[in-house]
Amino acid sequence: MRKFTEEVKPSRAVFVKWPLGHPFGEPFKVRQHNAVIRKAFEALKTIKKPGTIIDLPFRWRRDEDWEDKN
Amino acid sequence: MSRLKNKLLAKIFTRFPFLAELWVKKIAPWKVEGTPWSPFNKDLKDCKIALVTTAGVHLKTQKPFDMKDPDGDPSFREIPLDTPKEDLMITHDYYDHRDADKDMNVVFPIDRLKEMRDGGEIAEISEINFGLMGHISGRHIYTLINETSQCIAKSLKDAKVDAVLLTPG
Repeated sequence: MRKFTEEVKPSRAVFVKWPLGHPFGEPFKVRQHNAVIRKAFEALKTIKKPGTIIDLPFRWRRDEDWEDKN
Repeated sequence: MSRLKNKLLAKIFTRFPFLAELWVKKIAPWKVEGTPWSPFNKDLKDCKIALVTTAGVHLKTQKPFDMKDPDGDPSFREIPLDTPKEDLMITHDYYDHRDADKDMNVVFPIDRLKEMRDGGEIAEISEINFGLMGHISGRHIYTLINETSQCIAKSLKDAKVDAVLLTPG
């Protein structure tokens, strides 16, 4: 939940509006998992302001959103 | 009965996220002062990465997280890098982890990191990674902040980890 992330105030965060228990997506969808991980790693360098949360534009079960991010 | 109720709530919150948001707004948040910050300038391909998850992941041989305490369990479990995935399990009643039970990478993407390491995207993965359960409230918040997190941070620093991927359940 985004509210938790806002309250915890991590240095850097990426957020996906997906169901609880699915931070990297669906089981066995390797490319989907990688899309989120790579965005998180990108955030290591792109986030310059402490506490920034990047909302990823990936919709649940809309593979076209992340297929080109690998 | 309490565990059954928690599991039922977890399924409802997974199915109807707006109800979970309402629940979060109702509970008194712990006020965190300030945001820690370390500049990051290293190339990812030269980095040692660690995974820390609050999704309740642990080895089957380790003591499961305490699901009877309504304030949660602020302890942690060490997960060695070479742990076979069939030796891992999840103990966490506060989210629906049926999909993560099928494929642990949904919450603990250790296979994905190994592929990235083998492909040269990252240099190394920490020999020890960490599992916690992310439903901590009341008196356990103090333990989590002042004992558990300090202990994990020291281990990661001693292991010369460059960056940590924190994953929720």
